[in-house]
Amino acid sequence: MRRILSLVLSLTMLLCAVPALADVAADVEAGQAMTHDELVEKALAETGTFVVYGNTSRIETAAEAFGALYDIPYEPNNLKDQEIYEKLRYVTGGDAADMVMIQDGAQLTDAIDEGLVVNFVPGSVADALDESDQQPALVHQYINKLFIYNNLGDSVPAIRNVWELTAPEMKGRVIFKSPENEKVNMNFLVMCTKDEWADRLSEAYREWKGEEIDLGSYQNAGYKWVAEFLDNVTFGKSDTSIAEEVSQETAAGTIGLFVLSKLRSSSVLTDNLTVAAYDAVANGYAVEPFAGFMYPMYTMVNTNATRPYTAMLFIEYLMTEEGFKPWGKNIGAYSPNPAFAVNDGDLTIDVWKDALVVEDADYILESFDVEDFVLQHCQN
Amino acid sequence: MEEVKARNVALNRLRGRATAWFSKPANIILLAFLVALVVLTLYPLLSLLTETFTVHAGREARAARQSAGEFTLYHFERLFATRENDYSRIQFYEPFVNTLTVSLAASLIAILFGGTVAFLVTRTNLKYIKFVSAVFTFPYIMPSWTLALFWETFFKNVNIGLKTSNGIMAAVFGVYMPEWFVYGAFPIALVLGLHYAPYAFILIGTMLRNMDASLEEAATILRTGRFRIIRRITLPVVWPAIMSTFLLVFASSMSAYSVPVFLGSPVRYYMLSTKMKSLIDSYPGQAYIIAGVMILMGMVILLLNQRVTGSRRQYTTVLGKSHQIRRIDLGRANAPLAILLVIVLSLVAVAPLVTFALESVIVKAGDYSLSNMTLDFWVGTDLTRRLDQGDSTGILLNPKVWNALGYSLALALLSAFIAGSCGILVGYGVAKRRGGALANTVNALSFFPYLMPSLAFGAIYLAMSSKVPWLRGFPLLVLVGSVKYLPFASRSGLNAMLQLSGEIEEAAVITGVPWWKRMLRVIFPIQKAGFLSGYLVPMVSCMRELSLFVLLVPTSNAILTTMLMQYSEKGWAQFGNAINLLIIIVVLLVNFIVNRLTGASIDKGVGG
Repeated sequence: MRRILSLVLSLTMLLCAVPALADVAADVEAGQAMTHDELVEKALAETGTFVVYGNTSRIETAAEAFGALYDIPYEPNNLKDQEIYEKLRYVTGGDAADMVMIQDGAQLTDAIDEGLVVNFVPGSVADALDESDQQPALVHQYINKLFIYNNLGDSVPAIRNVWELTAPEMKGRVIFKSPENEKVNMNFLVMCTKDEWADRLSEAYREWKGEEIDLGSYQNAGYKWVAEFLDNVTFGKSDTSIAEEVSQETAAGTIGLFVLSKLRSSSVLTDNLTVAAYDAVANGYAVEPFAGFMYPMYTMVNTNATRPYTAMLFIEYLMTEEGFKPWGKNIGAYSPNPAFAVNDGDLTIDVWKDALVVEDADYILESFDVEDFVLQHCQN
Repeated sequence: MEEVKARNVALNRLRGRATAWFSKPANIILLAFLVALVVLTLYPLLSLLTETFTVHAGREARAARQSAGEFTLYHFERLFATRENDYSRIQFYEPFVNTLTVSLAASLIAILFGGTVAFLVTRTNLKYIKFVSAVFTFPYIMPSWTLALFWETFFKNVNIGLKTSNGIMAAVFGVYMPEWFVYGAFPIALVLGLHYAPYAFILIGTMLRNMDASLEEAATILRTGRFRIIRRITLPVVWPAIMSTFLLVFASSMSAYSVPVFLGSPVRYYMLSTKMKSLIDSYPGQAYIIAGVMILMGMVILLLNQRVTGSRRQYTTVLGKSHQIRRIDLGRANAPLAILLVIVLSLVAVAPLVTFALESVIVKAGDYSLSNMTLDFWVGTDLTRRLDQGDSTGILLNPKVWNALGYSLALALLSAFIAGSCGILVGYGVAKRRGGALANTVNALSFFPYLMPSLAFGAIYLAMSSKVPWLRGFPLLVLVGSVKYLPFASRSGLNAMLQLSGEIEEAAVITGVPWWKRMLRVIFPIQKAGFLSGYLVPMVSCMRELSLFVLLVPTSNAILTTMLMQYSEKGWAQFGNAINLLIIIVVLLVNFIVNRLTGASIDKGVGG
């Protein structure tokens, strides 16, 4: 029966087969050498709606401005990572995305290897950005998730050292979105076990306790911190709801680890919140050894794109100050381009890179067992 | 010569048999559906099975140390037999036990609550029947997570869960509920049970309403006690409906995702559905195994169900003679019982609506003072002062919302029409040829889509559609909606047909009325209530469906539920709540219009 079915389906496929897709990778290579005007000319010659997938809501604003600028019909889609990867794999033709904005460097590395997406670096930014922000994927922005606490009451968790979060009195008072539901959160925890961060955690422990760390059965200080941190954590639904909940009058004594940009939401009582990293800078200390974590948001061209040149033009646009504005006008999003000024009161990308754990796709990709370790501590 | 003659005789006999076989509409229907269902349900099932033995590109290939596309047993070993870091226990065994517990409990709650209310509404003189009957289906109309969200907002407090804020119960009444009551197995089962209780209400109610009262009357004349009558007569008659409800609620609860996420995550209570969702991304092989296990669990219940409905005839309850149901007089218990029901239903059905309405007009969360309220999120023209970017008008002035509403409605109506009509046909065919292998196969196949978790079903169809280029967008969504909700329709079609005595149609057959006329003029009008629920339930389900469509929609603003999710993701809860309310209002409106035009409605199946 299955053979017959496969045969019927294969025949259907043959009958319905569309002409082979243009080689987008070759287009991108050609586009790489083009000037802005040549890109515009090529993009305007393309037909159909320009489709964008992004796991950032602001992509809609950016696409709208871009569509208006070049008079190109556009369709922005705000999707979750998982949906984006699934759609990249299976959607072809006019509904397929031309360009994607996506996070989780580890999964993106796999997507590049799988040939789902291809990297395009506009000539206009090649000199302005670090090589690591251009290859293997172009970083459009960095996003930070920080320790942010409720500043009301007597037991304000104004942490100066992340080991404080593992103390018994913090049990159930630390709120974080489950690493099972958002891969960047998993990536952060995995990164803590990398030697570089494990050493810094070990050092921080000594400062906190005044004694050497006793690892017990843990491989390094990173594993120990992750396990004890997760033991105290309660999982919230989304970064938005965590921000709202931690900001409540009744939430004294709680601390969250969530995206800084959520402070812009009108439903968050921002007066009740203090960002640990800001407080540290204002008072001349540092949260040891990190004040949260940071991950890149990448822009890529879909290898199934029907408007590849429009995708490249859009990426070029997104890398300009104008194109970055939908994100850059608020705190919590940082262009890798050092020429772009940060918002008043916010810190520069260089400061954040020193103060936060930044994901390393290569390490994450090889650390399956660490993910299992994290999962174990998410459930117990 | 003799040989040729014999062959001709044999051929003629065969031809004669074939003509006789094909002259029966039920046979043609069953054959047509067998072919269609093999392609639309068996093929996806086989694809899913194949996926469990295949290495997928990306993280999975890297972890399995095999190339993408290769045959592997890695997923099975990993999911079922990995002791390191308690992997198997965490990813499979514990969620499996939790899923069984919750689904069983939810089924029992739905049957007990929905069945009891259906009995009270159809067989007693309970007061406020109209209100009870109309409001009972509300929880089903609402997306299930809304009831979960309501439960949490109502009962949460600073001693449990996130420990950050008090819900209405703690803030207003000073009552601090314990953690087990607000988070974990108990509330998940209860919320799912309440959400799916309308299944029991509709299915059991329809049976009760249509059953021949003379059976009970005879028993009453023979002075049989009331409980004995219920136990020996009423229960056996509604038994198929109870089993159908059990099957539907169990399978739905098993694959429910949002409710366990909302009420389980804060206490680290996981079910198979939540594990499947988190795995499907990086380790699809294991995710499909989980989907397969869920389907297997459903199949066991399906087999049980088939035993009940497949072989017996005594459920015929509509005999073609008029009957009058005598309602039991509840006496003094009537008023207290009615009031208690009204209070409970107001809590689970009306209070969430009020909450959505409230949440859609407040600016800062948790502050319900008048100064914090605005209608801007509904009809505002300049929202830029409240939101830093994005939609600048309230939802009623936003063309995107109206487009999505039109798309959702068209999708729901068309899917419901196809599923409902096919359901009646399947019901007819299966009932007429009951017990036969063909009927049993079609019956089982028509139920398969229900056993497939929506997310996996959507993912498999997405993969299938990539091989058939013209199958995308609206036609793909309608196809998926029709197939996925066919089980509802075929169940109600079958239940309705099983109640119908063969004599009724036979009378028309004898007088030479063609088949289609018999269907339209005789069978449909008699069992209209049952059949119409086969249209309405898919309609409602489609309107509020998210995980089935999320991967298949052409754009993320295409339908109301994906739009709702967008708003929730962006943190614009007010828009999300407003759209949720909009979905419920639209479904109620459709129900109302259908009611006015045909006299039937979702609850009408039952009485009122």
